[in-house]
Amino acid sequence: MSIESVAVIGAGVMGSGIAAQIANAGKKVLLLDIVPKDAENRNVIAQSAIQKLLKAKPSALMHKRNAKNITAGNLEDNLNQLADVDWIIEVIIERLDLKQDLYKKIDAVRKPGSIVSSNTSTLPLAVLTAGLPDSFSNDLLITHFFNPPRYMRLLEIVSGPKTQQQAIDTLSHFCDHELGKGVVHCNDTPGFIANRIGAYWMQTAMLDTMRLGLSVDEADTLSGKPMGIPKTGVFGLIDLVGIDLMPHILDSLVHSLDKNDAFHEQAIIPDVVTKMIAEGYTGRKGKGGFYRINKTSGKKVKESINLDTGEYATSVKPSLESLKPAIAKDLQKFLSFDDKGGEFAWSVLSKTLCYSAGLIPEIGDNIEAIDRSMKLGYNWTYGPFELIDKIGVDWFIDKLASTQLSIPPLLAAAKGKTFYRFHDGQRQCLTLSGDYQTLTREDGILLLSDIKLQQQPVKKNASASLWDIGDGVLCLEFHSKMNAIDPDILAMIDTAVDIIPNDYKALVLYNEGSNYSVGANIGLALFAANVAAWPQIEAMVKSGQDTYKALKHAHFPVVGAPAGMALGGGCESLLHCDAIQAHAESYIGLVEVGVGLIPAWGGSKEMLSRWMTNPKRAKGPMPAISKAFELISTATVSTSAQEAKGDLFMMPTDGISMNRERLLFDAKAKALALLDGYTPPVKLELTLPGPTARTALNLAVTSFVQSGKATAYDGTIADQLAMILSGDDTDIDELHDEDDLLTLERKAFMTLIKNEKTLSRVQHTLETGKPLRN
Amino acid sequence: MATFKAPVDDIKYLINEFLDTSELNGNPMFDDMTPDLTDAIFEEAGKITETLLFPLNRSGDEQGCSIDNGKVTTPDGFKEAYQEMSEAGWGNLTCKTEHGGQGLPHYIANAVDEMMISSNMSFSIYMGLTIGAYNAVEKFATDELKQKFLLNMVSGKWSGTMCLTEPHCGTDLGLIRTKALPLEDGSYDITGSKIFISAGEHDLTENILHLVLARTPDAPDGIKGISLFIVPKINIDSEGSLAEANHVSCSGIEHKMGIKASSTCSIEFENSNGYLVGELNKGMKAMFIMMNSARIHVGIQGLALAHTSYCGAVVYAKERLQGRALTGIKHPDKVADPLIVHPNVRRMLITMKAYTEGARALSTWLSFKLDVSYQSNNPQQRQQADELVSLLTPVFKSFLTDIGETVTSMGIQVYGGHGYIRENGMEQYLRDARICRIYEGTNGIQALDLVGRKLPAHMGRYLRHFFHPLSAFLEQHAEDKKMSAYIQPLAKSFTRLQNATLFIAQRGLANPDEAGAAASDYLKMFGLVAMAYIWSKMVAQILHDKGDMPDSFYDAKLKTGLFFMQRLLPETGSLLSNIMSGSDNIMSLGENQF
Repeated sequence: MSIESVAVIGAGVMGSGIAAQIANAGKKVLLLDIVPKDAENRNVIAQSAIQKLLKAKPSALMHKRNAKNITAGNLEDNLNQLADVDWIIEVIIERLDLKQDLYKKIDAVRKPGSIVSSNTSTLPLAVLTAGLPDSFSNDLLITHFFNPPRYMRLLEIVSGPKTQQQAIDTLSHFCDHELGKGVVHCNDTPGFIANRIGAYWMQTAMLDTMRLGLSVDEADTLSGKPMGIPKTGVFGLIDLVGIDLMPHILDSLVHSLDKNDAFHEQAIIPDVVTKMIAEGYTGRKGKGGFYRINKTSGKKVKESINLDTGEYATSVKPSLESLKPAIAKDLQKFLSFDDKGGEFAWSVLSKTLCYSAGLIPEIGDNIEAIDRSMKLGYNWTYGPFELIDKIGVDWFIDKLASTQLSIPPLLAAAKGKTFYRFHDGQRQCLTLSGDYQTLTREDGILLLSDIKLQQQPVKKNASASLWDIGDGVLCLEFHSKMNAIDPDILAMIDTAVDIIPNDYKALVLYNEGSNYSVGANIGLALFAANVAAWPQIEAMVKSGQDTYKALKHAHFPVVGAPAGMALGGGCESLLHCDAIQAHAESYIGLVEVGVGLIPAWGGSKEMLSRWMTNPKRAKGPMPAISKAFELISTATVSTSAQEAKGDLFMMPTDGISMNRERLLFDAKAKALALLDGYTPPVKLELTLPGPTARTALNLAVTSFVQSGKATAYDGTIADQLAMILSGDDTDIDELHDEDDLLTLERKAFMTLIKNEKTLSRVQHTLETGKPLRN
Repeated sequence: MATFKAPVDDIKYLINEFLDTSELNGNPMFDDMTPDLTDAIFEEAGKITETLLFPLNRSGDEQGCSIDNGKVTTPDGFKEAYQEMSEAGWGNLTCKTEHGGQGLPHYIANAVDEMMISSNMSFSIYMGLTIGAYNAVEKFATDELKQKFLLNMVSGKWSGTMCLTEPHCGTDLGLIRTKALPLEDGSYDITGSKIFISAGEHDLTENILHLVLARTPDAPDGIKGISLFIVPKINIDSEGSLAEANHVSCSGIEHKMGIKASSTCSIEFENSNGYLVGELNKGMKAMFIMMNSARIHVGIQGLALAHTSYCGAVVYAKERLQGRALTGIKHPDKVADPLIVHPNVRRMLITMKAYTEGARALSTWLSFKLDVSYQSNNPQQRQQADELVSLLTPVFKSFLTDIGETVTSMGIQVYGGHGYIRENGMEQYLRDARICRIYEGTNGIQALDLVGRKLPAHMGRYLRHFFHPLSAFLEQHAEDKKMSAYIQPLAKSFTRLQNATLFIAQRGLANPDEAGAAASDYLKMFGLVAMAYIWSKMVAQILHDKGDMPDSFYDAKLKTGLFFMQRLLPETGSLLSNIMSGSDNIMSLGENQF
């Protein structure tokens, strides 16, 4: 069975968010809620939820048109329509009686074999199904999404003894492939996996912060560091989740957990927090939380609360000795450092890791599922067991013993070993018995991190590597800082273009950094510009153009596979590929104007060519030129892969992978599919209108400058772009090939890089991470 | 024999013709600087330094300072000269007129300073230190303190010092131990030992005002916990008159290689009264603000001694008869030809001349930029000038003091064996010059400042203010045939400097030792290119818009400049090779292998 249509019942934040993600997957979804008393518009709740989706930030919809996949309705008039859907998700408030009432109504109309799931986070499946007919229980599961459903990758699925395997399989497959979720199968225990450990961690950190008299800022830097999330930390996370939710989560866990569970020791809500909730300080959604932004001075000042006094004061960067890089980088040193910071880090981490280890086999018997849950659901860079491996199992055990903390059986079983190992070409993890169990990836999942365990790179330099991903396909991985494109990456592309024709068949550009690439490394260019090294700069520009051109015209297929940001020079690398297979969460754009430049590694040329050769374009060259001009001059960044297609950063034939873990596999398949009868792209030849078009494009900008929406210098930059896109000093009879356009790109780039204002923009962006409007 | 002729003509040429002062047009202080006024200043300065200070130079070196029971006596004649110089206002050229100073810009005052140093470096130190102390008090102290101290400093009645170094710390001032305990009346109780204090104790003035870096009891560790205090040798009562002694004593003077007439003292503060200057714990910030002008001053010392050595060498090379010219007898009437006929002696003399005149032009130009950084009405212009001066200060300090040593050593060489004899006066310049490479931040520290602080500042922005005008200058003269003999070598060395800069920026980021290993060679390369730029600017102006100096003056400039471009500037090639060879050849030898 496959899932083609879905109904979501309950149009609150979670319900509508889930509906949006299903709509993002291109499926029809019916969104139902109750009819409010005396409502004129009986669908008002679901309808206004859809309106909110269209305005949500971060955006819940990957494309505005996806809202059309969602049909609003109500539980009285549209109940019968549930008969048409394959999957019904219940996302109403956490009250058993209401849920069970609803289930009865659903069961009366749903089609046989359709799947029903609840998004409950507090009620066990066994409780939900109590008293319901087997025919219903067979099809009922828990699907626990995390907020916001589009962006949080964890999906916990809980099935019961009566649940049919086919329902589990169908739903897992759908949520994995179509919704892009990392599915983790959990036991039917309170809080499942992520919230059980996550809530324990947050509570422990909060109570230890107060016990040791640390500031909120200090605690966050310390608590997030081992997990690899030093920017949010615990208090930042609670602010994000909503402080008012904490008592509810605690309450439900306290009532359902065994009385011997260690959670009870940490299940205290401090008075200061109770007071905050009462006063509306519920976190980011409220007046502020542990942190708030104070705008009274006209500037945005980040403040944090003093947990002793409840007063806010300007946030101060922590200066604890234990946070100095020399210490904090070495986990063992950090956790045993003799100051409040070291004491706190050890206290929170040792308790959290021991608690996690003690939950096996109660919440699951596989440590990988637990690590995965914490990584996907709480954004930890390392899961609890990966962390213990990083700290050193034996060191951890010894330190626990020396501080008289008890050692959970699983941890004892790990003595002298590691939780994960790579053995006989297989990834393996430790089980409670002390044996290792082999971990396999599902079909269709190919990860560079796995490949790296098994082989050496074909080629490697400081910023990029080439990996053999099988079937004659090479993967070019960027690994420079922020994956910025630098001379080493360009050299590696040249190498790939050199060696593939002889020994391989195709190339995929892909990496597993948090962003595909944030752009070219302009720090070096700025330095070169500051010392007036103009020929060197022009050579750098030319070298990027040559490399990307060679990539484009290579006699083998090249597939770009971005995830996260692909900006500037990173975007340009994609524009020169034969095809793109993008993760749904790809943010693609040419943002060079922000730093006072224009795309000059073929980006302006490729965008012009894409719009000029677009079969759907209107008559005459101007609409196409204007579109490319608009996208580049406003530094448009698509907010999803779907949007990127509309902007022609991606072509209609390019692919989108909803699941991040399936991206490389899909990209490789795309490359292999292009092999048969592959011919490089035909040479570009365009006729361009010349100075009249340049004037027309500038006219549009002038009004922005006059109205103050753009600066005069924005106008200067736009004019250089207009010069390229109009073909400079040409007339309509003249044919322009690729090299002509590249020459114009270089000309514009060199004009702009010599301008003081461009240099100020570049410097400001590099120093502050923010654009400068000058 | 040792001779000193004040370079008044060269200075007049630089100020009246060479220097483009348009950046400060309309600024009242500068509009007053007409040639009538400034020529008179330079001529008077030339006279007094030639006739009053230079005659005390060698005798001061021979006699040195002496200490008896904590009292330091300066060489004979110093006290009288100090009084005469002070009364004539030579000690307060840059001090504000409202405090009784002359209110002159730095590019004028520094030219006078050069002559004072040239004629008698030890003597000039006493006057220079007072100016340093004046600047600190004037910029940072409260009005009350200014009222108490400034007038008498400016008049020369009281002198000043800078007390930074302690027995265990010099370069690393974060380690300072001198204590400052706050007292109820807002003043401080200062206790500690300072060493290497120039003009720390002497008999030239009735009182000495020490500017002391010290630490209050609960100050943060390191450099961020240091404050600046003014501590008078003798307390001053509410009437402004001298009162009781302030428990400041001199426990000894150093026996030095050079500048023997300058007293270098160990000073003990024992529960001395001190007054906070500027903000608490911001003492180093105050030091940093004065650092550019202080370091430029030391660079000028290198230039000044080079000049005096050159004066002596030229006279000797023309007088001393020895051997015959290689191309045949030039002076048949004499028993032998003078030394100056020999190419190798000429090589030394013109090297000395090219470095000295190049340094003087650089000094004039940079001093003017310093003025722009202080005085321009345009904030952007002020900032750019400040960044340019900050970039070039370590280059100037090191490169010119290196030149000071090179040239004074050559001066000895021209004399042969007689250069090594004390009575002939030439060796004193080398001994005096040697300290300039060490104090006010050793030249090694300057090189680190350049590559570690100034280069990376704002992603290389400071560099822009030097490289862009130079690049524009090259472009402007690219087709200028008359200039090509100068422009081509400049362009070549400029490219080398660009490449070295990018190399250091790239490599130094990955491994700071790479930047450290390249630093000194890079600084020298920078200095050579900066000097070549200045020489080329002089040449361009002479070729296109010559002034009223005699033709032979301009002709000499063109020839000396060409020598610089052809014989001295090419060293940038070997320096680039050094830099590009990386740090391994320096760092790979293990500590225990030394």
